[in-house]
Amino acid sequence: MIHYITRKILHLIPMLLVISFLIYLGIELMPGDAVDFMISPDEMATVSAEALAQMRATLGLDKPFIVRYFIWLGNLLKGDFGYSLQSGVAVSTLMANTLPATLELSVAALLFSTVVGSFLGVVSALRKNSIADNVLSVFGMIGVAIPQFLFGLIAIIIFVFRLGWLPVGGRMAPGQEAFLQRMEYLILPAVVLGLALTAGVMRYSRASMLDSLNRDYVKTARSKGLPEWRVNLVHGFRVACTPVAVLIGFRLPMLIGGAVVIEQIFQWPGLGVMFLGAVRAQNTPIVMMVGFFSVLLVLLASIIVDILTALLDPRVKFN
Amino acid sequence: MRSASLNKKMDTLLRMELAGELSHSKKSRLLRKLHANKLAVLGTAIFAVILVLCVFAPIFTSYSSTDVDLRNRLTAPNSTHLMGTDQIGRDILSRILYGGRVSILVGLGSALGATLIGVSLGTYAGYKGGFLDATVMKVSELFMSFPQIILVLILVTITGQSLWNIIFIFVLTGWPSMYRMTRSQMLSIREEEYVQALRAFGINDFLIPFKHMLPNAIGPIFVNITLSTAMFILQESALSFLGLGVPSNVATWGNVLSPAQNLTILRDNWWIWLPVGMVLTVFVLAINFIGDGLRDAADPTQLG
Repeated sequence: MIHYITRKILHLIPMLLVISFLIYLGIELMPGDAVDFMISPDEMATVSAEALAQMRATLGLDKPFIVRYFIWLGNLLKGDFGYSLQSGVAVSTLMANTLPATLELSVAALLFSTVVGSFLGVVSALRKNSIADNVLSVFGMIGVAIPQFLFGLIAIIIFVFRLGWLPVGGRMAPGQEAFLQRMEYLILPAVVLGLALTAGVMRYSRASMLDSLNRDYVKTARSKGLPEWRVNLVHGFRVACTPVAVLIGFRLPMLIGGAVVIEQIFQWPGLGVMFLGAVRAQNTPIVMMVGFFSVLLVLLASIIVDILTALLDPRVKFN
Repeated sequence: MRSASLNKKMDTLLRMELAGELSHSKKSRLLRKLHANKLAVLGTAIFAVILVLCVFAPIFTSYSSTDVDLRNRLTAPNSTHLMGTDQIGRDILSRILYGGRVSILVGLGSALGATLIGVSLGTYAGYKGGFLDATVMKVSELFMSFPQIILVLILVTITGQSLWNIIFIFVLTGWPSMYRMTRSQMLSIREEEYVQALRAFGINDFLIPFKHMLPNAIGPIFVNITLSTAMFILQESALSFLGLGVPSNVATWGNVLSPAQNLTILRDNWWIWLPVGMVLTVFVLAINFIGDGLRDAADPTQLG
């Protein structure tokens, strides 16, 4: 088991090196360097070329590209992610400030979509071709076709403007820190973000539940005289869970992508809003580091999925 | 219970066969099965209607999609402006129709571009295997480890915003999934005996995969084209909605929706975002129906 996990993580390293190189290339490709941003345009005229060259030398900007890459990589490992071009604040600080909000939103959305999606999927598999099954599959189709942001807008119209149940956006009112008080801010964005995933999880868990219910071991379990709920849940659902776990892992990129859009609509102060702001302002260090960070998350998630698959499905062996 | 219903099905099939109802050899099997799928027919019809409305937009609306009319800002739907006007007086109906042209161009164009690259690479590399295949596979893994929208936005930061840049970026981020799908098809077809026979005849390495193997993988490829078209249309609309896609002076469905970011407009002026949102959703739904129908039709394990 430990051997399996270490090997997976070791496989990750060359991939991360290549991606970090591309990310650095992206930062370097943008016009201007750190010195250009340190000196304001009106001062630039008065600074001599030698002084500029000296500043570049002290910052190590005169070194060849590949050397600078390794210096940058070293800094990265030490936790120095570079600085925002707009405010000069360290990217690591900015990310640390916004990450908790994004995590809160994503975890809530993930939980919602997993629980609701697999429940509905199992229900429609057990009651195949019933009215509930058909209604759910129509909803599933629409859920995949409707743009997430449009769905968010409709949710705002209904629950904020018409019914007045929930606040329009933000993460908390001033002075409200307790989790329960913040719940009403979390519900709408989390459900909207989660629903797009729910449709997928539902379709998938329905299919895999149907598949596993037709397998011989389920028939064996039933013929042993086990109660029906036990057959369905323990023997059917456990194996049916595997593709669902895989799907959730694969949907993580979608979740991160969706969070970017949903955070913007609900003014949720997370990584996504910061990322969009940086893209608008061409604030490359932030754009690239958030990009790198998201890749890291996706790759880690894929490892976790592999491990989960092995744990859930007794037929998969570690090796 | 189950076997009884199967028996019944078999009986009806047998009866139909004896009565000669199953011998419809004129139409191709794929078209016939597609036709039998009601949702796919509905999807095709909706797709065609919206496409015709957009392509022949000048016939259906006399307004331009970009002309500003500050005297008629935010007018509700009426007899002169059938779907009202937006916050600077542009006619919504013509914006939806002309916007559809660009949105569909982005969706279909990117899907076809990604398919061209992904399928040609996948066909050749899947057949040849070896170093080329391993390299392209690694590169595709590289692309796929980014969340799609993040990668798109990173590339937007680097290349800047324009219609053709967006299509280019979509093609660049879309080909890996096409490549992997084609490659896996090729890997299984490669083991077929007819391929071995062709190889034994000494047919060259381009003819075998492209002329003799690719036609057998065409079903899943078409399914993937439809599904990626839908995906790219949705992505374009999200990007443009956020103001980071196609430049805002060009009407696209996302750009038409964009004013709805303003909460006052969202609350008070439903005609700005609701009709275009519905057109967008229905269009994507129609493409998905076509895709699902194609998938079923191309699947030889299903009766038809």
